[in-house]
Amino acid sequence: MTGGTEGMDGGPLLSVRGLTKHFPVMSRGFRRSVVATVKAVDDVSFDLAAGETLGLVGESGSGKTTTARCILRAIDPTAGSVMFRLPDGRTVDLVKLTAGELKPVRQHAQMVFQDPVSSLNPRMTVGDIVGEPLVIHRLARGEELTRRVADMLARVGLQPEHSRRYPHAFSGGQRQRIGIARALIMKPSLIVCDEATSALDVSVQAQVLDLLKELQREFRLTYLFVAHNLDVVRNFCDRVAVMRKGRIVELAPTARIFAAPQHAYTKVLLSAVPSPDPDERMNFNVGDELAKLDAADQS
Amino acid sequence: MSGSAEKPLLEVEGLTVSFSTPDGVVSAVQGVSFAIGRGRTLALVGESGSGKTVTAYSILRLIQPPGRITGGRILLRSARAGDIELADLGEEDELLYRVRGGLVSMIFQEPMTALSPVHTVGSQIAEAILLHQKRTAKEARELTIEMLGKVGMPQPSRCFDQFPHELSGGMRQRVVIAMALVCKPELLIADEPTTALDVTIQAQILGLIKTLQRELGCAVLLITHDFGVVAQMADDVAVMHRGIVVESGDVRSMLKTPQHAYTRSLLDALPSRRRPA
Repeated sequence: MTGGTEGMDGGPLLSVRGLTKHFPVMSRGFRRSVVATVKAVDDVSFDLAAGETLGLVGESGSGKTTTARCILRAIDPTAGSVMFRLPDGRTVDLVKLTAGELKPVRQHAQMVFQDPVSSLNPRMTVGDIVGEPLVIHRLARGEELTRRVADMLARVGLQPEHSRRYPHAFSGGQRQRIGIARALIMKPSLIVCDEATSALDVSVQAQVLDLLKELQREFRLTYLFVAHNLDVVRNFCDRVAVMRKGRIVELAPTARIFAAPQHAYTKVLLSAVPSPDPDERMNFNVGDELAKLDAADQS
Repeated sequence: MSGSAEKPLLEVEGLTVSFSTPDGVVSAVQGVSFAIGRGRTLALVGESGSGKTVTAYSILRLIQPPGRITGGRILLRSARAGDIELADLGEEDELLYRVRGGLVSMIFQEPMTALSPVHTVGSQIAEAILLHQKRTAKEARELTIEMLGKVGMPQPSRCFDQFPHELSGGMRQRVVIAMALVCKPELLIADEPTTALDVTIQAQILGLIKTLQRELGCAVLLITHDFGVVAQMADDVAVMHRGIVVESGDVRSMLKTPQHAYTRSLLDALPSRRRPA
């Protein structure tokens, strides 16, 4: 395998600039008026090179999932641009596209969700779930559809005969493989993984991460990997962006973030991770340190 | 070298828990043995389905039909109530009510499962006090507010009248801890207490459990799948796999030189121990 540098010549695959999402806070009562806004995502910018894996980490409420959803236009951002390079070389701004223009673009950017239970329709067979994107985009039908679904199931480590079963018959790790197959069948260039391995046991998590890595090499995938588990990010991502209160406070190559964090918040976040080495003591006192950071924000 | 001070607080010996299913009897836990010393922390580690939660539930006798404790003994050497054979207690035994929430209490993974959504935080904690101690309602309220302060709730007296839905996940877990510890249990069972929380909140909750454990001198049975949490919290570890304890020992030797192949494979699966692919 050669690295995936060929993609670099056309500039980044994804270029996010000034992405912002504000949610209004309404007053109570009959005449509801906007009393405040929550800046869930506040002026977020980053580039993602083809074949790269960028980790987006932060606490709950930091805006990492909202950022991911704004990029894929699952929700509409308030401001900013998301320049996405299509396989034919054209670059489009996902924020400006209308619903009709967005549909053909969506096949190139797919999402894998956190919860393998709620993200799979319990009343559809696995074959229908994995094949549905092809049907919606009218890319395959009949025998070809069946064949492509079977190929994809085999590729993610499931059996072709699994396609007739329903999601409840599968374990958490297998369900996550089904979710990955559904995303991959569109042959996307970008996959957004929103806490894709958070619900899994460590050994299953390791298998799914290995699968994602293999698929990345094989299909030259680019990952935006949203996660709160810093240990996973450390071993899976090329670069890491740390989010806090809707903003990226630090973005650097993974090794550098973990070896020499620059931002005070990153330092606190890393110190709170319990190390599996009993001789490396974790910091139980992060509450006070975070309070100090908050106080510094106010002044 | 004499007396019960040397003997462990809890001894589980050959515990077997079986569930009858249409396809026959399944033993979720098969002959599990371990002991926890007074004031010590034992981590019970394993993947989902390994039987760690069933083991913990057995101690509080929370196993419901079709599940049943079919073998073994669970001995609690209570300083306040003497030796209690938990596995032999009847479902309606007075002593069992004294054990639950009094001598042994439990923290769950998802705090909302332990909290009633229609009662105020304070009334739920005060209920535990009124059940287990001879106190007036006013005393219970004062004790509750003191406990809420201890677990780090800002404005404890205001929190008393709040409902769980008004609190964040970390704050709810603090309330559950307050509820579990307000009767000064001798053993605290914590079932994945921080799995649903952010690392920064997790660090604070783990720190809180440690501090209060030291203050009350209670033992902790910590159920987790996270070796990071194990390394930072436990004195001893028992690794469970398919209903059996495959390896147990003190935390340092277990994590540094695991003997059993399954323990090694679990440790190798840790992201921090894996070489980048």
